Amino acid sequence: MNNAGIKTREGLVYDPTQDCKLVGAARAIAGVKDAITIVHARPGCHCGVLLLRALGSNQNDIRIVSSGLRAQDMVYGAEGRLTEAIMESYIDFKPALIAVCNCSAPAIMGDDVEGVVHAMKEEIPAELTALSTGGYEGPAWMGYEETLAELIRFMGPCEKESDIVNLIGVKDDDVNAYADLLEIKRMLNSQGITINAILTSSSFDEIRKAPKASLNVVLGGDGLESAKIMQQKFDLPYVITPYPIGLNNSIEFLDLITRGLNKALNQEFIETERERIKERIENIFLFLQGVYDTSVAVIGDSAHAFSLARFLSYELCFNVKVLAITSKNHISLAEAKIDDYFETVLIEPDRFEMNEEIKTKGVGLVFGSTLEKKLAWELGAPLVRMFYPVIDEVTISDTPYAGFRGVPHIIEKIVNSVINNYVEV
Amino acid sequence: MHEGVSAGFLRPLINAYCSLPLHGITAIPGKISGALMVADAIEDAIPLIHGPIGCSYQRKINPFRPYLPFYDTPCTDMNDLDVVYGGEDKLRLGIQETEKRYHPNLIVVITTCASDLIGDDFKAVIEETKGDVGCEVVYTTGDFTEKSKPVGYQDSLYAITDQMICNGIEKEEIAKNEGSVNIITFPIHGAGLKTDEMASVLREMGIKINKVCFDHTRVKDLLDLPMAELTITDYPMAWTKLMKERLDVDHYETVAWDSYKESRNAELLSPYGIEGSTRVFTEIAKRMDKEGEAEEVLERRKSEAKGRLLAVRKGLAGKKVAYTAMGGLHSLEVMLLQDMGMEASVIIYNTLGLERLLSEDAIQEILDMSLEWAKKYGSDPEVLVNPTTEEERKAMKKTGTDLAVLSSLSNAVYELDKAGIRTFNPLEFMLHHQRVGFECPIELAIQLKEALKKPQRRKPLLSMLEYDTRRTNLIPHWAKLADMFVRLREGAIGDKCEV
Repeated sequence: MNNAGIKTREGLVYDPTQDCKLVGAARAIAGVKDAITIVHARPGCHCGVLLLRALGSNQNDIRIVSSGLRAQDMVYGAEGRLTEAIMESYIDFKPALIAVCNCSAPAIMGDDVEGVVHAMKEEIPAELTALSTGGYEGPAWMGYEETLAELIRFMGPCEKESDIVNLIGVKDDDVNAYADLLEIKRMLNSQGITINAILTSSSFDEIRKAPKASLNVVLGGDGLESAKIMQQKFDLPYVITPYPIGLNNSIEFLDLITRGLNKALNQEFIETERERIKERIENIFLFLQGVYDTSVAVIGDSAHAFSLARFLSYELCFNVKVLAITSKNHISLAEAKIDDYFETVLIEPDRFEMNEEIKTKGVGLVFGSTLEKKLAWELGAPLVRMFYPVIDEVTISDTPYAGFRGVPHIIEKIVNSVINNYVEV
Repeated sequence: MHEGVSAGFLRPLINAYCSLPLHGITAIPGKISGALMVADAIEDAIPLIHGPIGCSYQRKINPFRPYLPFYDTPCTDMNDLDVVYGGEDKLRLGIQETEKRYHPNLIVVITTCASDLIGDDFKAVIEETKGDVGCEVVYTTGDFTEKSKPVGYQDSLYAITDQMICNGIEKEEIAKNEGSVNIITFPIHGAGLKTDEMASVLREMGIKINKVCFDHTRVKDLLDLPMAELTITDYPMAWTKLMKERLDVDHYETVAWDSYKESRNAELLSPYGIEGSTRVFTEIAKRMDKEGEAEEVLERRKSEAKGRLLAVRKGLAGKKVAYTAMGGLHSLEVMLLQDMGMEASVIIYNTLGLERLLSEDAIQEILDMSLEWAKKYGSDPEVLVNPTTEEERKAMKKTGTDLAVLSSLSNAVYELDKAGIRTFNPLEFMLHHQRVGFECPIELAIQLKEALKKPQRRKPLLSMLEYDTRRTNLIPHWAKLADMFVRLREGAIGDKCEV
């Protein structure tokens, strides 16, 4: 435990709750709708990223290919393979951007990936970039941050337009990402605000034109580095907002953005939404009274988990016994110091230590990802899947977790997860 | 995994994930995935991944078992400093900490690209550390078995055999369990776990069962493997050969690959169905000097099974069936013709996925094998090589096909359903039912009859999608990924083999 009361892992052995840089980078590029990611690595890394993507996002939109690095290439290098993969990717998919993720094996071997990318720029009419994503170089969130920062290289100065914003920190394979974006757009539209580019859930061209926005909105702190660079480079201000989970986070989200744009908040819209939520809550108020004061654990990434924990604690009045931040960002430590809505906060914990901690807390409900399924089963507690990666639940409806419309949906999920189990007494 | 209450949940769960076009189609799982399957199948073992966090975290979702994540995958958290200065100290401390934390009886150290390339001396570290921990420690690099597939699986079993089972023991010291065999299956092969009938037949023949792995297997069970006289596996395994070499424990493979290569008798590739199972049991009996006992047991069991099958398969004999040519490699086509008495009407041969793995001759040999089989059992099927769905549909209509035994993993079965051709999912049967023994064909007969009675599915929503014309189960986008994968992997050592 450090001075701020934040628990970090103690052992040398690490059963990680987060992925490596490659996955962070691949997630960022996957959100560029007309980009291809080439995983320049041994087959396992490519297979792993492809599997995560195929199980956790839209199965008709997989744009991840392997460079075909083979065992025999470990001796002589795989630059030729990579060249071929870039060419094939262009011929087959005609992408606007090809991002090469240079992973552990070729990075250690010393493949000149930058050189290949530079040479291929002459050959194909697509933009190319090389990303340094060796597994040993850092965790996923760093890969995500660095990739967003890299995308800025392709942006140029634009004439600013008023009342349009960029969203930064979006990952389109997050749970309910598509429905969440629809709701966020609806909420912003209610304030006379439109979205320019989404980093990342936009076309490459839209991303290139990101500087024409009047404000960058950094969701939950993810992608902050890119917002800072854009402020410097394009004089584009930014606000950090909570991810809009729950009523109050949603209001704060709109409040911060409208203030950032020097606009008045449309209170009428908020009141209508508040009224709608009230009606829905009334429909099941007895159940909500029943689950009041439940002890819970929240295990998820920084951008979403702090917001959810606040909603659960302040609004549903649950006891957040443990808040485990599996993947942090630049504001996580500051967020963790505001400690009036959780008992214990763990930052990037070791899975073994985290589970041991949670098992002592009398938790009756777990908010996590697919990877918390065993823990939840051991605790005999329902698991509400709220965080990446979720590979054992699909979402194809337009019902969000975010925003005002997300409030009844989350409540529905929580109450159902508690009452729809078969138990013998 | 045992049958029981959970089977009701497990089968649809496995099925839900089995259509993923990954293995050799658009991707190849790395060695860590296979090695984790082995470590996870040993109840009191724990893996320790010597590498960066991604090698641990990403493999929790394992292409061999995507429906059930691997929750415990500790790693040494290799970072850039370790890549420069070496990771041996971390490995040493990591082994000690893993033992203290998880209290396993075996730590399986799985090396990664990073630790392999920087030249860490795994062997020295483990030999040095073994004495400090109260458990066995082995390491697997993927290099012990000359890229036998699946690499991680083969290599880690070899490592366990080399560094633990055969380590420090002479064959003379082993207290033999006379007249006994080991039956080895693996979760990768799904229904191979169903070994009850096989064990029961062997026992009746006077052959003792020393161990069945991997079925709640513990380290002690593995250490007891050399007590048997014979180890039975489905395919050839490097580790069983090593056990023969070091401790004189013989090995037997139900798919008689080596014998096939000499005789080209395709029956040797089929260990299932009544005749296939009889061959397997007879060969095991011969190896165990129990031919006399076996003759009576097999005659009786066979005759009883045949009687039941005859009753159950009423209405199946003579029905026209379309299926994919597999050259008997998965035995289903043999059972359809031999045990069910069905008539092959259309044989579909999709070579697109095979071209990367097999030589041209081998691809042709598989088709020839399938055709020979069909002819042997009195069929004269129409053969379609890489057909479109429309060509499949037309051929089936023309031949009056009653049932298409095709999987949505390789064919657009919904289009056939829509056209009024009933379908049967061979993949589900192979995963959950197919096994050595006499009950299996009876189950198949029951299921085929049910399939023939199924209400027709004339409006499948899946038909709304556009599919690739060659890879008929994939949408064009995935077909591109698959095509590109094949092109980019071209010439990879170890990918291609002869039959």
